[in-house]
Amino acid sequence: MKLEVHLEGLSGAQTRVVELQREGERYHITLDGQAVNADAIEIAPNTISVILDGQSFVIHATPSLDGKLKLQCGPHEFSAEIVDPRVWRGRKQGAPEVEGRQQIVAPMPGKVIRVLVEAGENVEAGQGLIVVEAMKMQNEIKSPKNGKVERLLVKEEQSVNAGDVLAWIE
Amino acid sequence: MFKKILIANRGEIAVRILRACRELGIKNVAVFSEVDRTAPHVRLADEAYSIGPAASRESYLRIDKLMDVARRTGCNALHPGYGFLAENPALPRACSDAGITFIGPSAEAMEMMGAKTSGKQLARRAEVPTVPGTDEAIENPEEGQALARSMGYPILLKAIAGGGGKGMRVVPTDAEFASAWRDAASEALNAFNDPRLFLEKYLIGPRHIEVQIFADAHGRVVSLGERECSIQRRHQKVVEEAPSPVVTPELRKKMGDAAVRLARAGGYTNAGTVEFLVDADLNFYFLEVNTRLQVEHPVTEQVTGLDLVKLQIAIAAGHRLPFAWEAITPRGNAMEVRLYAEDPDNNFFPSPGKILSRHAPTGPGIRLDEGVYEGYTVPLEYDPLLSKLIAWGNSREETIARLRRALDEYTITGIRTNVSLFRRILTEPEFLRGEFHTKWLDELLARPSPPVTPPRPGTEDASAIAAALWHTARASSAANANRTNSAEPSRWKSEGRRQQLDRTP
Repeated sequence: MKLEVHLEGLSGAQTRVVELQREGERYHITLDGQAVNADAIEIAPNTISVILDGQSFVIHATPSLDGKLKLQCGPHEFSAEIVDPRVWRGRKQGAPEVEGRQQIVAPMPGKVIRVLVEAGENVEAGQGLIVVEAMKMQNEIKSPKNGKVERLLVKEEQSVNAGDVLAWIE
Repeated sequence: MFKKILIANRGEIAVRILRACRELGIKNVAVFSEVDRTAPHVRLADEAYSIGPAASRESYLRIDKLMDVARRTGCNALHPGYGFLAENPALPRACSDAGITFIGPSAEAMEMMGAKTSGKQLARRAEVPTVPGTDEAIENPEEGQALARSMGYPILLKAIAGGGGKGMRVVPTDAEFASAWRDAASEALNAFNDPRLFLEKYLIGPRHIEVQIFADAHGRVVSLGERECSIQRRHQKVVEEAPSPVVTPELRKKMGDAAVRLARAGGYTNAGTVEFLVDADLNFYFLEVNTRLQVEHPVTEQVTGLDLVKLQIAIAAGHRLPFAWEAITPRGNAMEVRLYAEDPDNNFFPSPGKILSRHAPTGPGIRLDEGVYEGYTVPLEYDPLLSKLIAWGNSREETIARLRRALDEYTITGIRTNVSLFRRILTEPEFLRGEFHTKWLDELLARPSPPVTPPRPGTEDASAIAAALWHTARASSAANANRTNSAEPSRWKSEGRRQQLDRTP
């Protein structure tokens, strides 16, 4: 599988092309078109050990809310966006609004204090859907598009974690 | 000795007390609020009982519910931990009414020593130095100015009804006294509807150093040495160590003796901490007494080899302190950092949530007292203290090196923690030289962060590979899940394909 990895850290942003080819239990790894002497394995959930030319690295991966992947390697942190060039990504430019079924996720851990819509209800882009309270601050989560509330996955008074799916908008 | 102990707390301190009970062979009972059903102290306890909703005033602060659990389960003692009801005299009173031993001082000693003003009065009677100043309101500015001159500048004006820094002014010189008085009085009038002021000497760059004392019910009081707690962020201790880098054996003896005198004067029993401010000339001034076990007690345990919680239990059960402890001296050095679920890049905002993965440091000289585990959701209702990481070694240098090493091993994902704060503190030259005071950390954080050390070569490459591997593993499992779960093709996907085909170039 060939992937573009947009890596952003304190030292700047860069795009790397990583190709992983399964060879039995391991992967044959190509970086920016060059075969590298690397051995990568997920040793525990979200913990990846990489031995690159004999240098040992441990990277902790945490999916974040904006769809990016947060990477921690010792004291260094990166944010990665992974793109599979084979997957059609939609017309990013000039699209009047997001298309397709949208997941509404909690931006922070907290408690659902109000659900403003019902399942099956038609909503407009920007309309408030759910109010989540965290640390005494109320946050109204708005619909990203015109559409219909396909599913509501939370109730009032329910606690949610950052990244939990609250609703689907079709 | 007690048969069964009720632990009236949660989090890492409840776990700490449970462990002491286990080691002593004492049965233990935990209590928990609705959101703490999955907390580690509940899993580790022999018995556990729900005491109500998440809000602590409806659960952990309800004396009636605690007493009810204690009676029902046949507990003959109660340990309050720290925080919650630990310094509320109503709890020891309720315990004695119910015939349960409270593991801590008496309600009377708590009242006399715990309250700021009565503690200060007691300190004066016991000839323990206090910050020079008045306790009572000063009649007029002229009287105040005369007092300030006799005391020497700088001085601090404070509102009698004060709090939160309102009505408070530092007066550096005599010339500024009159205007500072006017400002402070009018601010106090606006904030508290009470313009009365008092004054005390203003200490420049003081350290916060506290003395751990223990008193048994037979009249023996000992000091177990000091803890240096000057590294504070907005009055909240974040790094503690024992011994203090500035305390000499002579000063240790003087401070220990003063703390013991105070405890005797107050008729104190069990564990207590006498807090002092220490100025640049190593003069020490009484600040207040904490009538309970402290968060930072492990550093004293590491340099004395004593288990303070077991000691508290033994004293409450009427045991005597050994005579030899009157001359205890610390061995080596120990340091603790408080790991909180808070985001150092976002003004230390609490960051509760689910811990996705966690790797705890181990190895020589490392101790981790914690109240979390992998998969645990840190609740938003309570103090976000996750763990206390404690290191000890033969010297301060060795301890710091171990602590740095352990922080590198410690990883927790899913929530933000303040680990990076300690990485920074533990490399600051002033910290390493032991040159700091209670405002040092706030000043450090006000300065721009130092340039980040560049990652070692290959870090970015390895991270990119890790990201790709992570994605590949997830993508293939998602594809498998799709194949088995959806018999019919996704309408979303087919619509996407149709749009793509129809697209005009």
